[in-house]
Amino acid sequence: MRVLMLSWEYPPHLVGGLGRHVENLSRHLAAQGEEVTVMTFTDGSSPPKETVEGVNMIRVNPYTMRYPDFTTWVQGLNMLMVEGASQVPGFDIIHAHDWLSAYAGITLKHMARKPLLATIHATEMGRRGTLHNDTERHIHEMEWWLGFEAWRIICCSNYMSGEIASNLGCPPGKIEVIPNGFDPRLFNTGLGGPVKGEDPGTDEGTKTALFVGRLVHEKGPHLLIKAASILKERGLKFNIVGEGAMKPYLEDMSRKGGLREHVRFLGHVSDLELSELYRRSYACVFPSLYEPFGIVALEAMSAGVPVVVSKTGGLDEIVEDGVNGLEFTPGSAESLAQAIQRLLDEPALYPKLVENGKASLGKYSWPLVAERTRSIYRSVMDEYERGGWKPSPLRGRP
Amino acid sequence: MSNVIHLSWEYPPWTVGDLSRRLKALLPALNSLVPISLVVRADRDGTTQMDGMKVFKVGTSVRTSPNFIAYSQALNIELARGGSDAIHGDPGIALVHAHDWISSIAGTYLASYFRMPLIISVYSTEAMRARPPLNVLNRGIYDLEHYCFQKAEALIVETEGMKSHLAEQYKPPGRVEVCSSPEQIHGVYRRWLG
Repeated sequence: MRVLMLSWEYPPHLVGGLGRHVENLSRHLAAQGEEVTVMTFTDGSSPPKETVEGVNMIRVNPYTMRYPDFTTWVQGLNMLMVEGASQVPGFDIIHAHDWLSAYAGITLKHMARKPLLATIHATEMGRRGTLHNDTERHIHEMEWWLGFEAWRIICCSNYMSGEIASNLGCPPGKIEVIPNGFDPRLFNTGLGGPVKGEDPGTDEGTKTALFVGRLVHEKGPHLLIKAASILKERGLKFNIVGEGAMKPYLEDMSRKGGLREHVRFLGHVSDLELSELYRRSYACVFPSLYEPFGIVALEAMSAGVPVVVSKTGGLDEIVEDGVNGLEFTPGSAESLAQAIQRLLDEPALYPKLVENGKASLGKYSWPLVAERTRSIYRSVMDEYERGGWKPSPLRGRP
Repeated sequence: MSNVIHLSWEYPPWTVGDLSRRLKALLPALNSLVPISLVVRADRDGTTQMDGMKVFKVGTSVRTSPNFIAYSQALNIELARGGSDAIHGDPGIALVHAHDWISSIAGTYLASYFRMPLIISVYSTEAMRARPPLNVLNRGIYDLEHYCFQKAEALIVETEGMKSHLAEQYKPPGRVEVCSSPEQIHGVYRRWLG
């Protein structure tokens, strides 16, 4: 099957997790015999056409035009993707990711009369809590339109399935849940397992909890600072990896709380540095208020570090409280502090969480994700072949 | 293969401004010379016969946009959707004719995908409409106009002054034809329709 994948990000141009997702999915689809072409972005520093690990890439550069805002920039990128599709020899199915490639996906669906499938990684309503302005409303309406036009919608968790059904009005039967994939090799750097002091997870006598994520409200980093304040007397320190709009606020909060010795802001770090940080951490804490999936929890489990997560979204589907991690009430710093205290106070719990965490990773393998995605492709193509909506024989491209 | 598909964001009774009046005067007469399918923004999807033409109405899926470019980009997906229906349903369509930049983005989509020539009628430009200093929206519209005009095989204008303006401000690679009657526009079509 020839798959035309549409994504606004793809290595080497990465913004968030979407680009890595599309890369891994495309690579594993190609390894399983599908012919995959990815239409994506370039700023001119990567080749407009190349084949990497069996995946054909076509990159378009939106910086040839000027745009008043991000929405129109995305639309300009999509406009060039539609034009770039004329370079693709042929495709059987179109797979768009989020509203960011919906414009091109919907246009190509109708011109080619080929089925469109969408992965919705997150929604604007979920990210923002509500729709505050015309940009957010436009994005929300594009998500609705993508959901309406798509033959099937793939999402990463049951939580997201519910969100798409309720926020975008999609029939539940149209939504398929495939958990995101995780490549354990990403954190297998040859550095060895977790650093062990006298106590598990203790590095040079200090226990450190690690947060990895964007410093935005939905990730809940402010709860971490509050919890650090509650746990000040326990000697636990916190490393915060990531950047975001909340960083100055968080730094101020930390300073005012007298936590300068307890909370360190590390900014962006390389994969190797992150791997080393995981290895030296006592626990990983993810206090998200909104989390469609929560791949960071899998990273921590893979590194052999217990996770403490808020009981929300995809995190709640990955973690079973007291079995492969600890959960706390979303939005409550007190509940978060209690969960960490439990880990500190029950030494027998620690190795159990580590062991069960590692055992949880099997169902998130990329080959499995690719196989399940192919199964949806086959089902869509089967329906398409039986239907009457086809390109005119005189107009259809191969 | 001798039919032409026209794209417009307005045609009576779906009226925004002056373009609909001009097209009402032009298209029925042009349709008597060459069969026309018109794709137009309307209140909802549907096909109908109007003024002797087959009309593909497209509704709008997106109601809210932060600015006019965002609106027009979403609108052009609808026009491309209606245009695709027209082209798949009529093997005779061999040429795409868009009116002003507001429908030209869909024109570039259809022309590129179905490998047909694109003609754009230009009635006014952002360079004419906007007063300096240009803001980011003006510049964005100018760049979209420039992009679409570069993709067109020919631009049609009504005056020599407009022809000079386009040559100076947009430097289109295709020919700029001054046409003041349906017969002259049909004459331009003949270059591709035979």
